[in-house]
Amino acid sequence: MKAAFALFKAGSPWSIIITLLVLVLAAVPVAAVLGLLSLGLDNIFMRGRLVLAMGEFTWEQQRNFLLIAIPLYIMMGEIILRSGIGQRMYAAVALWLTWLPGGLMHANIVSCGIFAATSGSSVATAATIGTVAVPEIERRGYNERLFLGSIAAGGTLGILIPPSIILILYGFITDTSVPELFLAGFLPGMLLSVLFLLAILIACIVRPAWGGDKQDATWEARFRSLPDLIPPLVLIMGVMGSIYGGIATPTEAAAVGVIFSLVLAAYFRALSFELLRTAFEGTMRITAMIIFIIMAAVFLNFILGFMGVSQALIKFIEDLGWTPLQTMIALVVFYLILGMFMETLSMLLTTVPVVFPLVVSLELWGMTPSETGVWFGILITILIETALITPPIGVNLYVVQGIRQRPGPFGDVAWGAMPFVLMMIFLVFLLIFFPQIALWLPQQMF
Amino acid sequence: MNSLFRIHGALERISLWAVWLGGLSLLLSAVMIVIEVVGRKIGGQEFLGVTLPAFRVPGSDEYSGYVFAGATVWAYAYCLVHRSHIRIDAFYNMFPQRIRAVFDVIGLALLGIYIIYLTERAWVVLLSTLEKGSKAMTPQQTPLWLPQTVWVGGLTFFTIVTIFLFLFALLCLLTGRTAQVQQLAGTMSVQEEVESETKGVKEMDQ
Repeated sequence: MKAAFALFKAGSPWSIIITLLVLVLAAVPVAAVLGLLSLGLDNIFMRGRLVLAMGEFTWEQQRNFLLIAIPLYIMMGEIILRSGIGQRMYAAVALWLTWLPGGLMHANIVSCGIFAATSGSSVATAATIGTVAVPEIERRGYNERLFLGSIAAGGTLGILIPPSIILILYGFITDTSVPELFLAGFLPGMLLSVLFLLAILIACIVRPAWGGDKQDATWEARFRSLPDLIPPLVLIMGVMGSIYGGIATPTEAAAVGVIFSLVLAAYFRALSFELLRTAFEGTMRITAMIIFIIMAAVFLNFILGFMGVSQALIKFIEDLGWTPLQTMIALVVFYLILGMFMETLSMLLTTVPVVFPLVVSLELWGMTPSETGVWFGILITILIETALITPPIGVNLYVVQGIRQRPGPFGDVAWGAMPFVLMMIFLVFLLIFFPQIALWLPQQMF
Repeated sequence: MNSLFRIHGALERISLWAVWLGGLSLLLSAVMIVIEVVGRKIGGQEFLGVTLPAFRVPGSDEYSGYVFAGATVWAYAYCLVHRSHIRIDAFYNMFPQRIRAVFDVIGLALLGIYIIYLTERAWVVLLSTLEKGSKAMTPQQTPLWLPQTVWVGGLTFFTIVTIFLFLFALLCLLTGRTAQVQQLAGTMSVQEEVESETKGVKEMDQ
């Protein structure tokens, strides 16, 4: 072991980067890669003293009150997911939106957006709504590609619309206020939804055949559908309201959400022992998955902090002589490329700790550090959404491909998602030039 | 080989019970937190001429922290048995099954090294707590060995499961049962991932 460390020291940092790449290529669990990297770096550069604190450090971090919000929001989502609300909501949203050119595709976006915000999982959202929606492609003659793309893209909306687990994780690793992040995500989330609807609208006005058979609904049917539509909205509003009403912290609001979702499940007559059991399994599986990797990531951060890696990066960028705007655009391109290949949670947890100090140091448009923290959180979340639907590796694309009834090439889904990817990139640049889109709402409240 | 399968099944069942218990404790924490929030909000206020009692749950944040730490580490093993720990499989998937099986075993070995180290450090924390009789620096003065024992127990169980899975997968690999390695330690296919994320979701009648 000692000899191996000495060998690395002689050839570092390239030998470290190459070893890392090999481990990642061999699909070694990401948490293990991060953990071993901590061990290795500390032994090579810091005489192996810091890793001795790994136990104490983990014990402290693992009881963090903010992080408890994560399993609670997941549990809320797991209960909602099994209560049948998603399927009911889809039917209800469809009644309100199908008069638009593009018909059900609008319902895909809106119901995926609302449902993903409450369920917290874009995979579960795309699968749940997708299973109900996909049979309609043939029945009503929609353009298959765009229809599939709209499900994949709609499922990503939930991570920007609060409550968002990605934003909690970001807030945790960068020490940014989670209530402010939640508020900041609201307008961009709405804007992105509208951009998605616009993409469908334009496509179906230019090519009317893509929009499927016209469907009409009476106002009576629409109003009768409201009881299926309102509960998820009440849930989101209730959780958000208790935070901004000054009643609860994000974690307390999550606990309120869990209880409220149980009430909703009971109201829809879905509450059962079986539901709780599967909800617990789902909650703990996803929680363990997230917490295992975040514990390894924050410890690595702690080591990298001592080594001054971020300062080295800032120095490197300064020496390149790029303007803040050029650096930001380079970062966006870097994340777009990384997102094509990398799993999103690992992407967030491994890059943000190093990149964040750099972004703060840029002082783009004279933003203060705390403003930059909030603004960059929203920006990175949109980039993560993009990563979910950019080929070759995009989880949502795979999920939608998996629930297709008629077999077809994977390219169909990837092409169908492309208009939505373009809208996301458009929003990213909009945010870079007008940070106020994210910052305005938190500034009104805080 | 049969007895190995039996041990695997037993470990899986223990991890499943741990997950149910963990989920239930988290739900109870949520109830505790909500009571605290409601009590804090309405306590002392006048309602229809009656002053509402200011009921509180002292230490609800502290206790939910212990529950969170304990429940999560006890779910690590479940996550591993169900092949849910995050791996980046973009390149992995390009290789034939035999090579992937080698990667799976290497992955388990490296995971093992990390987790053995972490668990050892966790034991050091617990032993020093026991030695000093440390208590939490809160009004509750909770004796720390209690939650820490649950926490270290979960990590230890995870270590045992990791080592067992590594040995089992290695044996399968050496005897040429690569399909078995895939079932024990491979990454999930999309189909499996969708199934595990939507388990128990009923299909609606159209």
